[in-house]
Amino acid sequence: MKNLVNEEEISEVAKLMKINLEDHSDHVKRVQKMLEYFDILDDANVESEEIIVQETDLGKLRNDKYNQYDKNLLKFLKRYQEKYVKAPKLN
Amino acid sequence: MDLGISALNYINSIKNGEFTVEEFTLKSLERISQVDEKLHAFLRVNDLAIKNAREIDTKIKSNQNVGKCYGMPISVKDNICIEGSKTTCASKVLENFIAPYTSTVISKLNSEDAIIIGKTNLDEFAMGLSTEFSAYGPSRNPWNTDYVPGGSSGGSGVSVSANECIASLGSDTGGSIRNPASFCSVVGLKPTYGLVSRYGLVSYANSIEQIGPMTKTVEDSAFLLNIISGIDSNDNTTVDNKNQDYLNNIDAGINGKKIGIVTEMTNPDGLSTDVLDATNDAIKTFEKLGANCEQISLEMVRYAVAAYYTITSTEAGSNLARYDNIRYGYEFDSSGFEFNSYISQARSKFGPEVIRRMILGGFVPSAGHAGKYFSKALKVKSKLIAEIKHVFEKFDYLISPTVPIQPFKFGEKINDPVSFMMVDFNTVTANLTGIPAISVPYKITNGLPIGIQIMANHEEEHSLLQAAYALEKTVDLPEVPA
Repeated sequence: MKNLVNEEEISEVAKLMKINLEDHSDHVKRVQKMLEYFDILDDANVESEEIIVQETDLGKLRNDKYNQYDKNLLKFLKRYQEKYVKAPKLN
Repeated sequence: MDLGISALNYINSIKNGEFTVEEFTLKSLERISQVDEKLHAFLRVNDLAIKNAREIDTKIKSNQNVGKCYGMPISVKDNICIEGSKTTCASKVLENFIAPYTSTVISKLNSEDAIIIGKTNLDEFAMGLSTEFSAYGPSRNPWNTDYVPGGSSGGSGVSVSANECIASLGSDTGGSIRNPASFCSVVGLKPTYGLVSRYGLVSYANSIEQIGPMTKTVEDSAFLLNIISGIDSNDNTTVDNKNQDYLNNIDAGINGKKIGIVTEMTNPDGLSTDVLDATNDAIKTFEKLGANCEQISLEMVRYAVAAYYTITSTEAGSNLARYDNIRYGYEFDSSGFEFNSYISQARSKFGPEVIRRMILGGFVPSAGHAGKYFSKALKVKSKLIAEIKHVFEKFDYLISPTVPIQPFKFGEKINDPVSFMMVDFNTVTANLTGIPAISVPYKITNGLPIGIQIMANHEEEHSLLQAAYALEKTVDLPEVPA
């Protein structure tokens, strides 16, 4: 299948993912190639398959109790001031 | 002093007074300074290693309790956090990030008196399989420096193979421990999902990734797994392994065990004839050891790579959304930027592979495409889990070549994303299904290593390590070139 994705679409997804792209063409080519390969999923015949979640015995999970965290992580925030995270100053 | 000794031999030597922890640590640091300019396994070396070594020597001399590691130098992939030190994930985006807390695996190693000798190179945010996508330059394969060491835990593989340390911790999302283990001729174990805490591992695709050991011998992997495994209140995906001793009866053998040879993994597109020959040879070896080997088919393996990249790209897009350069990041002047454009510009410092995977991760689960890609990928994963569950009702192990090819030259695959993805063909199944898998060094052909992958059912690491040990004992491989 050709033209699954075009520059405009890549540009839109890049915006969604908050990435500035200077040159879309290389990314378009690569993403296109990968998506063409992903078409193999159409042959998997899994439409009627149920999506299952890995099961773990309840007895093997941690106890459901609150553990006090003993370190003040906020002190590591470089731009932390009082109760707030300082964002960069913008014009 | 032999820097190539195993972890267990190191412990015996320290106990017998053959050398001190300080002497061994110093020699290891000398080795790093001699070879690492060329190999580039390490991103940083621990300045306090000698001080730590002296402290452990003091404990030994004064008959205090000493941890099980006896000061052995262990390297750690640079996506695992150690409080107060840099964790860059080999990315410019995190070049100055100081970890605010220590991962559980490091806490466990520290409590057993390991010395973390340094942080090792990786593909940026563990996205890659050659270290060519590290923002700080690639690592090189010690068997031939023109070739990639594998990845993403390539620095870890190199550091162990080149005798710069005794062992290493890597992380494995789609083969990132087993692939460099195979390419560098070391043992690499991806544990069952949940057996080892991921607390303090920088997330890439957290539903399938695991931390695991990379070592010189199978026994060393069992030794390290004893230390790092088990339930952790900081990671609610961990399971209680009841402090199982993976070293116990490791030499039990595999007589009478049933081994499935995964047909789809022993004839994928691009499988090298040398790798196929080595695999056939390993099958004969297993049979000589008393195992019954039989071909089996796992239909969904054919679709596993596509499912894997769809799921991991989606999770990567989500996990990497946090890097907005506000809460943490690098120095970047915000003058002249509107708020959103500042974040977008700051995030353009991600490397090309990370950007591509984020774009893919935005595309495949999007409203117009989720049915075609993401939903099908999850269904393939579910069906693969069912297939694996079914085969382990009959078989004890599954085997395949770890990687369908031997190490390749730098740049050889970087421009062909599909051929790059296919390198993961045999390893992603264990990640998608959560089962444990190990790569055992088996052969050196044309001066480059080949590893054999053994897989077992969930939480069957004890049995898996017995099989790996049995195979390891049949091979006698040459020393890594100096």
